[in-house]
Amino acid sequence: MAGREAVKRAVQQVRPILSVDREEARKRALNLYKAWYRQIPYIVMDYDIPMSIEQCRSKLREEFVKHRQVTDIRVIDMLVIKGQMELKETVEIWKQKGHIMRYWKESQDPKPTDFLSKFIQGVN
Amino acid sequence: MAALIRNLGVRIASAALTAKHVVPAGTAAFRMQSTAPVDAKAAEKPTVRKPDAAARSSLSDFGRYVAECLPKYVQKVQLTSGDELEVLIAPEGVVPVLQFLKDHHQAQFTNLVDIAGVDVPCRKYRFEVVYNILSLRYNARIRVKTYTDELTPLDSACEVHKAANWYEREIWDMYGVFFANHPDLRRILTDYGFEGHPQRRDFPLSGYVELRYDDEKKRVVCEPLELAQEFRKFDLSAPWEQFPNFRNANPPAEEVQPAKAAAGAKK
Repeated sequence: MAGREAVKRAVQQVRPILSVDREEARKRALNLYKAWYRQIPYIVMDYDIPMSIEQCRSKLREEFVKHRQVTDIRVIDMLVIKGQMELKETVEIWKQKGHIMRYWKESQDPKPTDFLSKFIQGVN
Repeated sequence: MAALIRNLGVRIASAALTAKHVVPAGTAAFRMQSTAPVDAKAAEKPTVRKPDAAARSSLSDFGRYVAECLPKYVQKVQLTSGDELEVLIAPEGVVPVLQFLKDHHQAQFTNLVDIAGVDVPCRKYRFEVVYNILSLRYNARIRVKTYTDELTPLDSACEVHKAANWYEREIWDMYGVFFANHPDLRRILTDYGFEGHPQRRDFPLSGYVELRYDDEKKRVVCEPLELAQEFRKFDLSAPWEQFPNFRNANPPAEEVQPAKAAAGAKK
């Protein structure tokens, strides 16, 4: 009995954003992934970006895998909502070419990892 | 003011009926009023606005009444800076409270002036959302305050006040408070592709990225911020007192006691 009380106190009752359990949140994330995946050919065509469809799809996968360690249902929902908004901005062509190309971070040099390049760049 | 002048006129007219030396008396009265030495105590601090006692009592009565009508949602009623009524409510009561204040015949707060956000990171529910509403019928303004955190959705007030649409988008964009049932929740002030919510206290003043036009790529590119020098934090507090006039100003907030407690205190 005391144990149950402790569990009750530890598990905070919160209001869900969209999903009530993990399975639903997972489905929402998958649906978002599919929606992006299907829109990519049109995005490449509309924005005339210098990227192939395969490159875009690998970038999409990378963006989703970046959040794979997220387990909180509400955080997943919030990410899905933001992804949904971003998809809408992209599909409606509210964005511009530069906004799409921002995902690849082309103008940023990767951070140096080995000693010599760190030394040359003056980074410790 | 007009009523006052009318009153005075009536008084002079009635004086004219009774007394014979009408005109001098009337002028004397006027002169006395306009040139009378101003009460020294009243004019001591003309910069500090005195709260209106009548407005104070009527607003606190109204606040008490609201708290009695909606005991489920109203958590606290307070007066700030003397005579501004604030109703502090639970986050699930946004729609019912605003609907009540809009539709109640003695309130008629039909005009949503603004929705503001406040971020206090040390609190458990770090965001405060403040609804400023105006009753054109009774010429009164009150504030409805509620609270939330990064992941708890608030109910959208759009179904009560149409004006809430853009204000809520603004709060979503600046603070990242999610509004459930909002008809069109998307960014409104930041650029497409912008990440983060700039009005949060933990968002740095300089931001995270900077944009520039790249001549080779012929488009705007986005790069992480590089400052030539570390962003300086200035200590802006002065060693002397800044606003001595406000040393004894109105208290920032005083709670309006519920009716029973107030009655008990009187006895």
